[in-house]
Amino acid sequence: MGKYILKRVLQFIPVFIGVTIILFAMKAIVPGDPISMITGGRAVPEQTRLQLEVQNNMIYGDENGQPIYDENGDTIPVPIWEQYIRYMDDLLHGDLGTSYSKKRPVTDIFAEKYPYTIRLAACAICLEAVMGIGAGLISAVKRYSFWDVLVTLVTSVLVAVPAFWLGMILQLIFGIWLKNITGGAFSMPISGAGGPTSPYQDFMHYILPAFTLAAVSTAYTARIMRSQLLDVLNQDYIRTAKAKGLSNRAVIVHHALKNALIPVVTYIGIDFGAMMAGAILTETVFNWPGVGYEIYRAISARDWPLVMGGVTIIIVVVMVINLIVDISYAFLDPRIRLGSSKSED
Amino acid sequence: MLYPSPTQKLGMEATAEAVAQEHDKGSGASRTLWGDAWRRLRQNKLAIIAAVWIIFVALVAITADLWAPQLLGSPTAADTTQMAAQSLQPPSLEHPFGTDVTGRDILVRVIYGARISLTIGLLATAISTAIGLVMGALAAYYGGIWDTIIMRAADIFLAFPYVLFVLCLIAALGQSITNVFVAIGILGWPSIARVFRSAILSVKENDYVDAARAMGASDARIIARHIFPNSVASIVVYATMNIGSAILSEAAISFLGMGVQPPNPSWGIMIQDGQAYLMTAPWLMIMPGLAILSTVLAFTLLGDGLRDALDVKMKDA
Repeated sequence: MGKYILKRVLQFIPVFIGVTIILFAMKAIVPGDPISMITGGRAVPEQTRLQLEVQNNMIYGDENGQPIYDENGDTIPVPIWEQYIRYMDDLLHGDLGTSYSKKRPVTDIFAEKYPYTIRLAACAICLEAVMGIGAGLISAVKRYSFWDVLVTLVTSVLVAVPAFWLGMILQLIFGIWLKNITGGAFSMPISGAGGPTSPYQDFMHYILPAFTLAAVSTAYTARIMRSQLLDVLNQDYIRTAKAKGLSNRAVIVHHALKNALIPVVTYIGIDFGAMMAGAILTETVFNWPGVGYEIYRAISARDWPLVMGGVTIIIVVVMVINLIVDISYAFLDPRIRLGSSKSED
Repeated sequence: MLYPSPTQKLGMEATAEAVAQEHDKGSGASRTLWGDAWRRLRQNKLAIIAAVWIIFVALVAITADLWAPQLLGSPTAADTTQMAAQSLQPPSLEHPFGTDVTGRDILVRVIYGARISLTIGLLATAISTAIGLVMGALAAYYGGIWDTIIMRAADIFLAFPYVLFVLCLIAALGQSITNVFVAIGILGWPSIARVFRSAILSVKENDYVDAARAMGASDARIIARHIFPNSVASIVVYATMNIGSAILSEAAISFLGMGVQPPNPSWGIMIQDGQAYLMTAPWLMIMPGLAILSTVLAFTLLGDGLRDALDVKMKDA
């Protein structure tokens, strides 16, 4: 087991380096002059400009932040590989730069935004687990019944629905058309949070965004649950359990479900990791102040330190969660850790 | 390419013939992989409806210039003299999908939006497939260090949150229609490479590949003549589904304002336009959304149908 964990952690490192190289390369090819971004396009004295260039690792400087000149009196540009090393050095020390537009450290901004994303993701995961596992269970147990067909159709449609459109349709139905029935609880996105008179304002405003965020993954969860359960129900030990005279219900609850759930739970775990990337579309539709919306705004504003720092944080979070999911999968399913050397993909 | 059916090998031609005739009256017994697949596909009603819908959307989009503006008005330019009277009209006989705030007909904009969506879906998939095929072939055929490097690169690409990566790439490359499908296309290669790699790995071990090598065929020839035709089924299935997801990605990116730019009628932009009029004119966003939903659903269902017909085993179904 220790060997498996070590192997997974070691695989993590090249991917992490590759990701940072891509991010750094993007930062390098981005059009526009970073100094004029920082100053907001205003003209600045030459000396200030040079100090800013030193601060941003563009030219060499001394310990006071003053530029160093060569024998011709020119500044010395920092080569690109050294810029990358400095970027990694800052990264590993938890310094991800300062936002151009907000003039605040990127880590502070994201520490503020992450709780919103985590709460939304937690709600979405609960919905996803309950609805997805429930629907998959019903359609596998009552195979080829009306319910099975219904689940298959609904999951196909959900996978094809654009999330942002679904969010707006839900706002339209529950917030506008059914305004009188729902007491206006959904009539406003989060900024209004149902209004001060709404009795539900604490949790009501989570429902629509969480549902929107969970929609596609719920469909996949249901499909995986269905195919896994059908798979497990064909196994010999299930036939043995039935032959012992156990009821159908007991066979499913005590024997089949536990094994069928392993891949489902793994999928949900990975999906939670993906949601930690911030749901750009859902957060934008609902004006949800999470990390996805923050990065989207940063991209629109060409605030590159915020984009790059933010994406770096997000990817590290996602990768760490995937690592944890993989390792717990190996705990749950001995076949993975014992036969791992031959695994493809 | 002809494939002997298993029954034929066993000397049961007569039975095979009878079965084939029973299945396939009139058009002659088909003995090819594609013939068999087509016969199975025709029995899948959902897949046929999906294919008909895709062909219909494509025909409407291709021929739009010939009839749509004459009937419904320009998709981009607003008629300034009529603007006040025509603004935000609900669906009617004259404007089946209603009109937007500048009085433009929504239906004609949805039709022209189909051009952008289908073009980007096809081109992005072509790019992903081309890169994915080369990468997958290198990884699977040569193995060893090639396999490690390419598959780790695929891991790196897949580690990025997809929408975020596309947005960053477009922001870095600059905003234009070309960069939208280039970005979506470039970021789609790892999945295709994985599919093709495992397809090749399963074909590579066959005796006929060894036979070809023994006869002195070059690597390129073996891949092109022997391995590719035998793994093309999984690529066709995957590419079909990929067109649908590329259309979804384009809509999402245009919705966020980073893709196709107004006044071009992309479905994503139309939904974004509609967001401001959700209360007063919901048809603005409902109609393009239904267009995305039906088209993407059609590509998914057709992909499912092809998968069953071609008997491709996929990891995540």
